[in-house]
Amino acid sequence: MSFLRGRLGRSKVDSSKQAVGGNSPVKKRNLSIGKVPDQAVRIGTVFILAIGAAVALRQHFIPESFGELGHYRANAIPVIAGAKLHYAGWQKCGECHEDQLNKKMGGFHKALSCETCHGPAYDHAVVDPTDTEATPKIPRNREFCLTCHSYLPSRPTGFPQIIELQHNPMEPCVKCHNPHDPAAQAEAPACSGCHGEIARTKAISHHSLLRCETCHATPPEHKENPRQNLPKKPTNREFCGQCHAEGTPTSGTLLGVDLSTREIPKVDLATHGNTYLCWQCHYPHDPEGK
Amino acid sequence: MQAHFAELAALANQISGFIYPNEIELQWSILIVIYPYLTGLVAGAFILASLEKVFNVKELQPTYRLALLCAMSFLIVAPMPLQAHLGHPERSLEMFLTPNGNSAMAMFGFVYMWYLMLVLLLEIWFDFRADMVRWSQQSKGLKSLFYKVLALGSTDISEEAIAFDHKAVYAITVVGIPSAFILHGYVGFIFGSIKANPWWSSVLIPIVFLFSAIVSGIAMILLIYYVSSLVRGQQPKMPCLDKLASFLLYALILDFSLESLDFIHRLYESEESIHILSELIVSKLFLSLTIVQIMLGTILPLLMLAVSRYSRLPAELKRIVYVISAMLIQVGIFSTRWNVVIGGQLFSKSLRGLTAYKLEMGGQEGLLAAIGFLILPFLIFLLLIRILPPWEDEKETVAAAIEA
Repeated sequence: MSFLRGRLGRSKVDSSKQAVGGNSPVKKRNLSIGKVPDQAVRIGTVFILAIGAAVALRQHFIPESFGELGHYRANAIPVIAGAKLHYAGWQKCGECHEDQLNKKMGGFHKALSCETCHGPAYDHAVVDPTDTEATPKIPRNREFCLTCHSYLPSRPTGFPQIIELQHNPMEPCVKCHNPHDPAAQAEAPACSGCHGEIARTKAISHHSLLRCETCHATPPEHKENPRQNLPKKPTNREFCGQCHAEGTPTSGTLLGVDLSTREIPKVDLATHGNTYLCWQCHYPHDPEGK
Repeated sequence: MQAHFAELAALANQISGFIYPNEIELQWSILIVIYPYLTGLVAGAFILASLEKVFNVKELQPTYRLALLCAMSFLIVAPMPLQAHLGHPERSLEMFLTPNGNSAMAMFGFVYMWYLMLVLLLEIWFDFRADMVRWSQQSKGLKSLFYKVLALGSTDISEEAIAFDHKAVYAITVVGIPSAFILHGYVGFIFGSIKANPWWSSVLIPIVFLFSAIVSGIAMILLIYYVSSLVRGQQPKMPCLDKLASFLLYALILDFSLESLDFIHRLYESEESIHILSELIVSKLFLSLTIVQIMLGTILPLLMLAVSRYSRLPAELKRIVYVISAMLIQVGIFSTRWNVVIGGQLFSKSLRGLTAYKLEMGGQEGLLAAIGFLILPFLIFLLLIRILPPWEDEKETVAAAIEA
C-alpha cells in the first residue's frame, strides 16, 4: 500500500510531483516512454497484451486444417465421409429386385427412389441381406400414400390428389393401385381424380348435369400422358349456342340432359355480347346466368 | 412437436390471404427488436456525449459522464438478446476466431468490439483515470486496491498528465463519432441490405436508424439525468434540460423528415410490394405504427417539445413536459424497432398474404425475457455509477477534500 503513503492531505501538485518521481522518498514507477506519458503506456500495454492473448487464443482454437479448402475445416471431409451410411441407392436395390425396379421405371413413380417409400436400406442391401431386422418395411397404410396424394391447393394442377374422406374411405390404397406402377386403371377414373377443384365447382353449378366430355373431347391417351394429349376445348360461340341459342329445343333431351329438369337461358347469338366468345364473360364451370 | 403444431394451428386462424407454409411462424422474435433498440440508445447517448466534448456545448456538461456510462451499460447488454435468440450461443465466438468477410452479421461482431474496446472503454478510462487515482488514494484496503487496479496502477495526476487525458478523450471522441454512426448505421445496414424483403430493403434504412438512435439516446439521457437528479435530492439544471430538449427536438424533426421521405419515396415508386405493404400498415401494424410510432411517439412529443421549448412556461411545467415527451419518444422508438423487425416478417414473400406474431409470455424468447433484457442495462448502470460516480458536484467535493 505504498501508493497511499503520504498521499492524503497533500495538495494535488505535491502528489503529482511525487507521482512522476521527483524528489520524493517514495519512488513511484513511471513507465513513460519519451513523450508518451505513463498512463498511455499502461493502457497501451493492456491493449497489446489483450490483442496478444486474442491472437494466441485464436491460434489455439482454430482447427489445424481450417481454411485449406475454403471457409471450413478440411479435415471435416474425411470425418463426414467416414460417417455411417444409411441409404444404398436405387441401383443397389435393382441388383436383386430387377422386376420391381423395371416396373417402377416405366410408371409414374419413376422419379422416386426405392428408399423413399421403403426407408434406408444400406444394412439390408450392402451389409447383410439375410438380417431380418434390417429388412426394409413395406408401407401398406393409407396415411403413407396421403403424404403426397392428399388434396392440397398448393400442389400442381394435374397431380393426382384425393380427398381422404371421399375417395374410398378406409380402404388401403394398395388394394386398387400398384405402388410400383400406379398407372391409370383399366376402368378410367373420373376426371375429378385429377381435376378435383373444377369438378367440385361444376358439381354445384347449373352445368352439374353435363359430362366433362360433352365440352372437352378427350383422347384416351390423356390418362397415360396428360400433357402430351390435351383434351379439346370449345372454340366458337356456336358450341354454347347448341343449348343457349334462341330456337333450340326446350323439351326432350339435349346433350344427355333431361330438359324438363332445367330452364335453360336463351340468347340471340347474333346480338348478345357482340363478337366476344361466351367464356370471355361466363365461366363455363360455374355459369352465373339465370 | 404436437404443442408446436397446436401453436401453428392457432396462428393459422389469423392468417389472411395466401402465404407460404414456412412463413406462418416468425423467425425473429421480440429479442431481435430489443437489439437495435439498445444499440440505438448506445449510439445516441455517445453522440450526445460528444456534443459536450467536441462541439463544446457547455450546458450539457452534467450529462457527459452519465451519457458515457449509460452508453456502456446498454452496449454490454446489446448483444445479449442476440445470444439468447441463438440455439447455440457458444458458436457465436466462432465469428471472432474464423471471421467471414462475406457475412454482414459476422462482421457486426468486429464493429461492436471496436466500439466497445477502442471507443467507449478507452474514453471512460481516460476520463475517469484521475478520479480513480484520487479514489484509490482516499480509500483503504480492498477498495483502494480495486481503484488502483482500475487505474492500471497509474498514479500520475499532475497537470500535464490530466491535460494528456483530456487530449486523449478529445481524440477518442473525434474517432468515436463516426464509430457511433457506423455502429448503429451498421445495424440499419443489416436490415436495409436484405434485398428480398421490400419492407427492409432501402438505402435510407441505415440513415433512418441512425437518426432514430440519436433521438432515443438524447431522450434516454434526459430521463436519466432528470431521475438521477431527483433521486439525489437535487434540482436538475434548467439550462441543461433546455439544451437537451432543443437537441431532442432538432433530432426528432430530422428523424421524422427522413422517415416521411422514405415513406413518400416508397409510395411514389409504387413497386409491386406496395399493395401488401399498404395492407400491412392499415391492418397488422395500424396500432404500433400509425398510433404509437407516428402519433404518440413522434408528432405528439414533437409538438409538446416545440411548444414548451419556445414558450414562457414555468420551469416546473417545462420539466414535466420534457420528461413526458422523452418517455413518449422511448415508446415511439421501441415501436419503430418493432415495426421494422416484426413488420418485415408479417407479409408473405408471395406479396399476397399476412401472418401474425404471437408473443409468448415465458421461455427464452418470451415477454418476460425481453423485459429482463430491458431492465438489465439499468442495473448495470446503477452498478457503474456506484463504481464510477459521475457527479460533477461530488468531483468538486473530492477535489476540495484533497486541496484541504
